[in-house]
Amino acid sequence: MPLLECIRLTRRFGALIAVDNVNMAVEPGEIRAVIGPNGAGKSTLFNVITGVLKPTDGEAFFNGERISGLPVHEVAQRGIARTFQLTHLFPQLTARENVRIAAQARLEGRWAMLGGGKVLAQSRRRADEALEQLRLTRFSDTPARNLSHGDQRLLEVAMAVAQAPILLMLDEPTQGLSIEETERAVDILRQMLAGGGLTVILVEHDMEVVFKLAEKITVLHRGQVIADGTPDEVKADAQVQSAYLGGFE
Amino acid sequence: MRFAYGLAIAVVGACLVPLVSPNYMLTIIIEALIWGIFAMSLDLLVGYTRLYSFGHVAAYGLGAYSSALLLLHFHMPLPFAIILAVVISSLIATPIAWVCTRTHGVSFAMLTLAFAQLGYAMLYRFKEFTGGSNGLAGIPRPAGPFGIELFQHKVGYFYLVVFCLFGSYLLCRSLVNSPFGSVLAGIRENEAKTRALGYNTRAYKRAIVIASYGFGSLAGALYAPFAGFASPELFFWLISGKVLIMVIVGGAGTLIGPIIGGIFFIFLENQLAEITDLWPLIFGSVFIAFVMLAPQGIWGLVTSTLNRRRAPAGAGPDPEDVSGASA
Amino acid sequence: MNFAGFLLTQCLNALSQASILFFIASGLTLIFGIMRIVNFAHGALFMLGAYAGYTAVTVTGSFTLALVFAPLVTGLVGMAFERAFLSRLYVRGDGGAYLMVTFGLAVIMGEAIRLIWGPQPQGVPTPDMLRGVVFLLNQPFPYYRFFLIAIGAAAAIGLWQFLERTRAGLLIRAVSQNAEMVHALGTNVEYVRTGVFGLGCAMAAIGGVLAAPLVTAYLGMGSNVIIDAFVIVIIGGMGSFLGSIIGSLLVAFVQVFGAYYFPNLALAIMYLLMLLILVVRPGGLLGKEE
Repeated sequence: MPLLECIRLTRRFGALIAVDNVNMAVEPGEIRAVIGPNGAGKSTLFNVITGVLKPTDGEAFFNGERISGLPVHEVAQRGIARTFQLTHLFPQLTARENVRIAAQARLEGRWAMLGGGKVLAQSRRRADEALEQLRLTRFSDTPARNLSHGDQRLLEVAMAVAQAPILLMLDEPTQGLSIEETERAVDILRQMLAGGGLTVILVEHDMEVVFKLAEKITVLHRGQVIADGTPDEVKADAQVQSAYLGGFE
Repeated sequence: MRFAYGLAIAVVGACLVPLVSPNYMLTIIIEALIWGIFAMSLDLLVGYTRLYSFGHVAAYGLGAYSSALLLLHFHMPLPFAIILAVVISSLIATPIAWVCTRTHGVSFAMLTLAFAQLGYAMLYRFKEFTGGSNGLAGIPRPAGPFGIELFQHKVGYFYLVVFCLFGSYLLCRSLVNSPFGSVLAGIRENEAKTRALGYNTRAYKRAIVIASYGFGSLAGALYAPFAGFASPELFFWLISGKVLIMVIVGGAGTLIGPIIGGIFFIFLENQLAEITDLWPLIFGSVFIAFVMLAPQGIWGLVTSTLNRRRAPAGAGPDPEDVSGASA
Repeated sequence: MNFAGFLLTQCLNALSQASILFFIASGLTLIFGIMRIVNFAHGALFMLGAYAGYTAVTVTGSFTLALVFAPLVTGLVGMAFERAFLSRLYVRGDGGAYLMVTFGLAVIMGEAIRLIWGPQPQGVPTPDMLRGVVFLLNQPFPYYRFFLIAIGAAAAIGLWQFLERTRAGLLIRAVSQNAEMVHALGTNVEYVRTGVFGLGCAMAAIGGVLAAPLVTAYLGMGSNVIIDAFVIVIIGGMGSFLGSIIGSLLVAFVQVFGAYYFPNLALAIMYLLMLLILVVRPGGLLGKEE
C-alpha cells in the first residue's frame, strides 16, 4: 500500500486551477522529487496535502487514512513533517529551542505539556541529536534569526527531522543557497536518507540536486502531472523537455 | 539559585512592609499589589503569546462582582468566596476565550473589547442583581476558615494579597517555563509554523486566555471585599488601556515587569494626582516613549543591562529560560 | 400617535445618525485599509474636531468656516503624529505597537483638550439657516437632521467617486493592496500614508463639528463614539469603504429603534450583533482581513 496517495486531487482559486487532477502514489521508503516550471502548482500541492488548503476536489490518503480536509496540526500529528518555501522559524528563539519545540510535539499524553523537567529534558536530547545530524550543533545557543540563510534552511530541516516523521516533505530546501551551501545540504540530506526508514517528497528547482537524491520524479506543469517515473524515464520524456523549453543539461 | 534568593528577599521585604508604613499608605499599597496581579495576568496574553487584549477589564469586573455577590448573598469564609469567584469567572471566560481565539490580531483585540463592553452593558441590564449604576455596597469580610479573623483588618488583608501575589506569580512562572509555555513562545514567534509542527494552537490560545482571565479575576475578587463595594466603573473600558500600559511600560513577557509596572503606576498616579492635574498627559507621553524607544519595558531594560554586565557578548540566554523571554 | 409619521421620523433620525457615524467610521476604515492600523485615537480626533469647530463658530460666527477649519486643524495634527511616530513603527512589523501608540495619543489628546478648553461642555448653536422643524405626516423633524443626511450622502458619494475615479484614489487603493509594488513603481508610499491618515482624521473632525450642535462638545465624547466606530468597522469589514457605509446604517438603525423598543438592551444588542458577525465571518461582512 502506498504511504501517500493523491487521487484526483484538485485545487481551484476562482478561475485558476492551481492543482489539476493530480494522481500520485508514494511508496514507503521512497525518495520522490516533484519538479516543474514556476507556477506549476508544486507548493500548492504541498499545501493541499498538509492541510494548509482544502482540496476543491479529490482526496489524499496517508497510510490508508483520508487526510485531505484535516486541519494542519492533525495532519502533522499523523507523522507528516514539512518545510516551507519561505523559511519559517522562531526567529528570536535559539536554534536548540526551535528544534526542541519541534521534538516536543511528538510527546504523547494530554498532560505532557504541563510535564516539566522530564519532558523538557527528553525533547532537548532529541533536539541535540537532530542538530548534530544537520551539523548545526555549534549554533545551538544562537538565536535563529542570526543564522545565515543557508543554516536557517538546514535548521528548518532539523526541526522537521526532530518531529520523527514518517513522511518528510521538503519545499525547495536549497532555495537561496550558494553553491557550497547547496553541496553541503545535499551531502547532509544524502547521509540522512541513506539510513533508510524515511519517506521523502521534495520539491526542487535545482536539477542537479534532484538527480543526486531522487529515486522517482513527478513532473507538474500548469497543475497537471505530465510525467511520473524514474529519473531516466523523465529525462527522456518529450513533454517534459518541451515544458522546460529545451530540456535538461 | 539567583531566583530563589531574589524571591526570598522579596517575600521578607513584603512581610516587613506593614511594620514601616503608615496606615493610609497601606491602603494604596494593597491596591497597587492588586493591580500588580492584574497586570501580570495580562502579560500571559500580551507578553508571552502576543495576543493583544483590549478587554481585560472584563476579568477584573467579573472577579469583583462575583466575589461581591457571593459575599453578599452567602455565608462563607472570605478565601472561599475569592476562590469561588475565580472559578466562576474562569467558567464565564471559557466561551469568551472560545469566540475570541477564532480570530487573531486586530479582530481579537476588538472581540475582547466587545465582550468587556457587553459585560458593562449587562451590569445595567440586570440592575436588580448588580445594583446598576449604584453597584453593590457593604460587602462584608467574613472570618476565614478556622475562625481566622486576620483579613478583617487592613494588615491582615495586606498579607492575604501578598500571598495571592506571590502564589499566582509562582504558578504563572511555572506555566510559562513548562513545555506548554514553550508552545506559547512558538505561537508568539510564528503561529503557522507551530501548527505545522502538530500543535493545536487554537486550543493553546483558548487555554491561555482562560488562565489570563482567571488570574485577572483574582485581582478583582480581592478588590471588591477590600474596597467594600463593586460598581460599574470596575468594568469601564479605559481600565483595559491602563493595565495594558502597565504591562508594556513594566516589561511585557517577564511577569515581574508588569507587576512592578502595576505597582509603580498606582503609586505614581496617587502621588502625581495631588501635585498636578497633568498626570494623564504625562502617562500618555511616557507610554508612547516606551513603545517607541524601549518596547522591552523597565524590567526588560534592567535585565538586559544586568545580562550585559554579567556575561560577555556571545553568551546565549539562560538555558533554564524556556520561554525565550530573556533571549 | 401617528404610527406612519413615527416610523418615518425615526427612520430619518437613524439616517442622520448614520451620517455622523459614517464620517467617523469611513476615516477609521480608510486608515486601516492603508496602514493596517486600528487608530485608537479616532474618537479623540472626533472630539478635537468638535472643539475646534466650537472655537471657529465662537470666533467667526460661521458654521461653514468651522466645517473647513476643524478638519484642517485635525488633519494636520494627525499627519504630524503619523510622521513623528507611526511611520517609524512600520519597519517593526508589530501590529501591537500601533494599537498602543494610538491609544497613548488618545489619552494625551483627551487631556490636552481638557487643558485648552476646560472641563465644561461647550455648546455649539445650530446654524441659523438650519434651525426649525418641518412637519412630516404630522411629526416634527428638525431641518438640521435633514442637513446631516444630505451632507452625509454627499460625502459618501464624493469619497466613493474619489476612490474609484481619481488618480489619487487609485493610488490609495493600490497602496492598500500592495504597498511594496506601488513603492517599486516609484511612488512615495510614505506620503500616501501620511495623506490618508490626515484624510481619515479630517473626516472624523467633520463628524465632530456636525455632532456638536446636537450633543455639545464635551469631554468623553471621544470615548463614547470610538466603541461605536469600532463596532461599525468590524461589522462592515475592516478596510472596506462600502462596509463602513453599511455598518453605519446598521448600527444607527439598531441604536435608534433599539433605544425606543428595548432601552435596556440597546447597548447589548449592538455588541451581540458584532459578536455574531465576527463569529461567522471573522473579517466582517466585507472585510479585507485574512
